[in-house]
Amino acid sequence: MKRREFSVALMATTGLASAALAQSAGQVRESGLVGELEGPTLIDDPARRPTRFNEAPMLAEQVRAGRLPPVDQRLPQDLMVIQPLRSVGRYGGTWRRGFIGPGDSENGNRIMSADKPFFFDKTGTEIAPCLCRGFEVSDDGRRTIVQLRRGMRWSDGTPFTADDWVFWFEDLYQNRDLVAAPAPEMAANGKPGRVEKVDDHTVAFVFEDPNYLFPYLLAGDTLVGGGQTRQQSDGRAYSVYAPKHYLSQFLPKYTPMEQLNAQARAAGFTTWVQLFRARSDWRLNRDLPTLAAWRMVQPITGQQWVLERNPFFYAVDTEGNQLPYIDRVQLTLAENPEVVNLRAIAGDYDYQERFIDLGKLPILLENRQRSRYRVHLDPGFNGGDSVLFPNLTYTEDREIGALLADARFRRGLSLGIDREQLNEAFWLGLGTPGSVIPDRIIPESPGEEWRTKWSTHDPRQANQLLDAVGLTRKDREGYRLRRDNGQRLRIEIAVAQTLSPTWPQQAEMIVQHWRQIGIAGDVKVMERSLAITRALNDQNQILMWTNNGTESLYLYPRYALPVDPTAGVMGNAHALWFASNGERGTAPTEPEMLRAFQLMRAAAGQRLAERTQTAKEIWKLAVEQQWGIGLVGLSPAFMGVRVVSERLENVPARTGVSQHIRTPWGGHPEQWYFRS
Amino acid sequence: MSATAAQDRWAEATQLRLTWWRFRRHRLAVVSLFIIVLFYLVAAFADFLAINDPHATDARRSFIPPQSIHLFDEDGFNPHVYGLRGVRDRQTFQLIYTPDPNRKLPVRLFTRGYTYNLLGLFETDIHLIGIEGGQRTDGIFLLGTDQLGRDLFSRMIVATRVSLSIGLAGVTLSLLLGIILGGVSGLYGGWVDTLIQRVIEVLRSIPTIPLWMGLAAALPNTWSTTQVYFAITIIISLIGWTDLARVVRGRFLSLREEDFVVAAELAGASQGRIIFRHMLPSFASHIIAAVSLALPAMIVSETALSFLGLGLRPPAISWGILLQDAQNIQVLANAPWLLSAAVPVILVILAFNFLGDGLRDAADPYG
Repeated sequence: MKRREFSVALMATTGLASAALAQSAGQVRESGLVGELEGPTLIDDPARRPTRFNEAPMLAEQVRAGRLPPVDQRLPQDLMVIQPLRSVGRYGGTWRRGFIGPGDSENGNRIMSADKPFFFDKTGTEIAPCLCRGFEVSDDGRRTIVQLRRGMRWSDGTPFTADDWVFWFEDLYQNRDLVAAPAPEMAANGKPGRVEKVDDHTVAFVFEDPNYLFPYLLAGDTLVGGGQTRQQSDGRAYSVYAPKHYLSQFLPKYTPMEQLNAQARAAGFTTWVQLFRARSDWRLNRDLPTLAAWRMVQPITGQQWVLERNPFFYAVDTEGNQLPYIDRVQLTLAENPEVVNLRAIAGDYDYQERFIDLGKLPILLENRQRSRYRVHLDPGFNGGDSVLFPNLTYTEDREIGALLADARFRRGLSLGIDREQLNEAFWLGLGTPGSVIPDRIIPESPGEEWRTKWSTHDPRQANQLLDAVGLTRKDREGYRLRRDNGQRLRIEIAVAQTLSPTWPQQAEMIVQHWRQIGIAGDVKVMERSLAITRALNDQNQILMWTNNGTESLYLYPRYALPVDPTAGVMGNAHALWFASNGERGTAPTEPEMLRAFQLMRAAAGQRLAERTQTAKEIWKLAVEQQWGIGLVGLSPAFMGVRVVSERLENVPARTGVSQHIRTPWGGHPEQWYFRS
Repeated sequence: MSATAAQDRWAEATQLRLTWWRFRRHRLAVVSLFIIVLFYLVAAFADFLAINDPHATDARRSFIPPQSIHLFDEDGFNPHVYGLRGVRDRQTFQLIYTPDPNRKLPVRLFTRGYTYNLLGLFETDIHLIGIEGGQRTDGIFLLGTDQLGRDLFSRMIVATRVSLSIGLAGVTLSLLLGIILGGVSGLYGGWVDTLIQRVIEVLRSIPTIPLWMGLAAALPNTWSTTQVYFAITIIISLIGWTDLARVVRGRFLSLREEDFVVAAELAGASQGRIIFRHMLPSFASHIIAAVSLALPAMIVSETALSFLGLGLRPPAISWGILLQDAQNIQVLANAPWLLSAAVPVILVILAFNFLGDGLRDAADPYG
């Protein structure tokens, strides 16, 4: 008996890792490429707080030259102390990495993730300190208090205080010119919340209704938890704080309008809003203060996007060395994901997981010794590495819009896809075919019967469904005809050239499968930012994307429900409607969608156990209605194939692959270092 | 045959006959002509010659290496292939195919396969060769398969149709433009000539690839493959006509001063009669030669455009599209047979060039 209890306890501690592998990745495990989930430890104990501090040689030089205050004056009183994963490192070096153009912002955003209010532990389930050292939620769930680090500074040396949070709330978030749609995360039960300053280093978020979920939202990759770099670039002005001392000069409230307009014109813009967006975008403006481990020194628009260490970064290791260890991050432009893979195989990168193609695993493994890198596989927890998202609010073609809005049509399309084929051809057989639901070890997963619901290959039933929609007439080649003008019905699949290099071929294979159910598909391959712009404007008919991130439904609901107007993949008019409480956008007509919206709104006021049940209900609706057509998932395909230089130390054997773990930030790059 | 008889034969022979005699002496050109005719026959009967459905994907036969047909077994002549068993290697995750000696699949002529439309006349499912029996995933893969498990041999055969016809259509269009504009330019001279010649120079001074890229990028994303096909043809011929126009103009200029033209003019022949009855026949052979040299350029243009992802798009099949599959590193490392799509391109281009060479020599039988 005793032994048995022991093994149960062990299961609980290794938790996520072993269960995930048992389910989906038996073959991966045999390869020896999957390690245990691990990461550095945060030290809370004040007794272990270092008292003497060191800094990187490049900063020490500037201190000697008088251009920078000494290190102990740059660090906050409430330090973040990190015990490195394996060993205390040495300073220096450049982390070489690849990106694929100005649309690839997330590549760099993720490396700047130290500016998030909170983060997660290595499993992606428990909240960990980050920018803020702690939080408290009142018993009634209406008030969340966030504790900032005392003495913390922006990268230009200005103190970072509660005023920066209030500034964001009052001058950015509530300015309708800057934020068109309020963040659903800033509301409880549809009623907007507010930010209050308690003292210089304490901020309170106050809601009218209970909002037990809020701290999780501050830790996830959400509009409030995404951090300044992520949420105040690319035209957005979300996140929960902003550098008041720098950005206020670009606002009409602080600077006369005539002066702002003149500045805007001088910089080549027409309005002050455009000027503000350009100045608050970390990717473009190197003067913008940051709180992350590195700061941008060469913008995203060139051949090289370069980040350099932030001299005011708030974390140290257990010996008092200010982090990060690595001096510079250098992202080199590659024309497309294929080139990223080629360069990775040639050993040109020190750490690259983004764009690495699972299909190239055989060649990556072959070249390990020659190019001096290691390969790790990190299986993901999300149900769909590739998902087809029918646009529920497509209006450019009424007939196609009506079809996409019809659940029977979506189910028909789904049943017409042979997922086993996709898994073999593009996942090397390592994925799990099925619907969009997350791995069974995620508490919010509704159960395995929902993985196959409407998500098997059943052309007979698919044909029946499509006939039932009224698509009964076919042309000579067996393709179904439109109901309005009798022409051949053509459905476009928009595919972005990003994330997975095989998306175009996957779509091509699906088009072949759809021949069997009389659906003519067209694959439209486009550049990432074009695909995103078209998605935001509801111009795609069906978009092929991933649901990575939505394994945690509440942190990243965008790929389960259209609730996030900043990331429309499945009907942005609905998302706008949801986020604006019905003021803008269009209301769903599907009763199931209205119910899902209700559940989503109610969830924030529920405590954990109840909230988990609600999530299961939402997942069931999502599968039942096929708002996303899941293809293959639970595999390392999405940022789960890591190519790591042999010289790079303190890299976890396995990291969580997830949007809110901000892959690769879950591996804590600030404590990686290069062996000499 | 006496010497005089031979001389008489020469003297009496029509120009066409003389050209043919001259052409026959150019061995390489004759062989090339044969090859080109063969290619166009393949294009015409592509679906009949294809073994497997060129569009049918099947992941269970992804990246099969080229397979050969065994002609004999213990019973004598009995062409057959073996069924393949694909197993994924646990270390490298590659699918490794091994022939299953217990599953011998007989290869036969005129077997039934996928349905197609022969020469646009009638539907049939008879193919030249195929296997009898076997499972859904079985087939003959003479040149191997691509990532989606499509048979490369069949795809190459079917691609011939698009790639060769786009060349022909493009040249026809160029020829039309070239003869009209070149003819006008050569015949009338003056400011018309100057204008047309300057336009040609401007067109020829623009680097072709960026020009194509610009034009191809302007094609709406919503166009169907057929529309794109025609648009690409037009784009290619927009550049191609300039060469032909120059040739035509040159011939007109030189012939205008010839005695027989002047004689016809003095005899009061109409301009139309002079052009079509007297001038055109005397340089038609030159045009044919120029056309046969322009064709390969058109074919290469289409291949290049499609290879760059600017020309035709899947599911259309052309040589350029097949080569597009060979762009990534897995293919170079693990499936080099996909590069064989370049072979017909090289063959047909060389053949056209030799043919053009032979025709040009033959076009001037008195030279």
